[in-house]
Amino acid sequence: MSKELRLDCLGEACPVPLIKTQKKMKKVGVGDTLVVEVDHSCAIKNVPEWARKEGYNCEIDEIDDGQWEIYIEKTK
Amino acid sequence: MEVSKGNKRKKKKANQIPVGIGLLIIIIILGYLIKNLGTKHPMSWLLGILLGFTLRNSRFCFTASLRDPVLTGGTSLSKAVIITIALATIGFAAIQYGAYIEGTSIPGNISPSGVHIAIGAFMFGIGMVIAGGCASGTLMRVGEGFMMQWLSLIFFIIGSLWGAKHFGFWENTFMNRGKEVFLPDVLGWFPALILQFGLLLSLYILADRFGNKNN
Amino acid sequence: MGIKNSPYYKKFLKNPWSYITGAVLLAIFNIAIFIINGSPWGVTTTFSYWGAWIFKALGGHPESWAYFQGSKGEVLANGFFSHTGSIMNIGIIVGALLASLLASEFKIKKIKSGKQVVAAILGGLLMGYGARISFGCNIGALFSGMASMSLHGWEYLIFIFLGAWTGSKLLVNYFI
Repeated sequence: MSKELRLDCLGEACPVPLIKTQKKMKKVGVGDTLVVEVDHSCAIKNVPEWARKEGYNCEIDEIDDGQWEIYIEKTK
Repeated sequence: MEVSKGNKRKKKKANQIPVGIGLLIIIIILGYLIKNLGTKHPMSWLLGILLGFTLRNSRFCFTASLRDPVLTGGTSLSKAVIITIALATIGFAAIQYGAYIEGTSIPGNISPSGVHIAIGAFMFGIGMVIAGGCASGTLMRVGEGFMMQWLSLIFFIIGSLWGAKHFGFWENTFMNRGKEVFLPDVLGWFPALILQFGLLLSLYILADRFGNKNN
Repeated sequence: MGIKNSPYYKKFLKNPWSYITGAVLLAIFNIAIFIINGSPWGVTTTFSYWGAWIFKALGGHPESWAYFQGSKGEVLANGFFSHTGSIMNIGIIVGALLASLLASEFKIKKIKSGKQVVAAILGGLLMGYGARISFGCNIGALFSGMASMSLHGWEYLIFIFLGAWTGSKLLVNYFI
């Protein structure tokens, strides 16, 4: 059964969302998904870039004006 | 847990595009009006708008280019900054060479090296990482609505004033003893250009290899 | 609804551009500024004028400082509306605002914690003072200084990198 974990990075400026995501991702189990909530427009570029380089599945969903959820699925 | 995604999506998004178009019209009208303040004003206004627009839309960040290799292992912005410096060098060198041919003084940001640069750049490096943006980055984030950068801009201005007050001390102690070194003056134009692009290329390769290794 | 689905809207206004696109455009703009103004792009010298104008309005006398002699004194005396650097910096703020509105992504982001307040104050002061004694910031000293083939630009690169490294350690240990 895959789980979904959330990480609140609202109001955090670069590079904090990416560092928090990197730390949190280590605790996420294989097959689970981490949802990172951000409102920093740079984070929707550097977080997915990092995640894809690591080989994870990554999707961005704009939930409100200037607010996003980044879905990172740990595939391996 | 999956349900939460569906619920949040239903939240109605406001459309900010009409406000944006309104702002664009105001920008154009202002650009027309400020020509009375000075001949260069409309061009400066236009270039400022273009710079802000480009910085924001490409998420260009000089801070990240220097910080990410250390902090997150990413080097894609470092490479982009090296490219922008290399491209600008071509245009700058052409302008400077034109002045050299005509025998006038070489334009450009050529300042004395020395202890003051080392201390100032070190301070700036710490400051931009903890404040989450350098000068251009802070301005861009002020426009994007970050209250943290509104605060850091205020203290940036206070810090500038403080530095300006002590400028006399730094000038007498270090700057006047430092040497203004324009590389083509010392090495000749051709070798200086070779050195400049050679160093930039080496940095690019270094950044690229470091970025791939860290993965 | 129509415009939001247009591929050109997504390409130019909504989706982030590549870093390389930004790099090419910034280089062109910097060269254009150099040709128009006779000196390359800089950001922070303008901040020292903003500080000085506010200080003057509060009753200070910055015009007596060594820094504000010569051409800088003239700019100081002529005021905000005569200064093209100020117009350009305001333009950068408004340009970023325009970009985020046209992408429909503008949002006021409130300060989240006391740590952010301390980081913003300390970082702002360090950058302001540091930029004054080293002839600029990432733009004036690093970007424009290196592209001007001046040795101080390369020296700046080495020490700002060391500073960024130190700042990263501070950030991870104290500000997260």
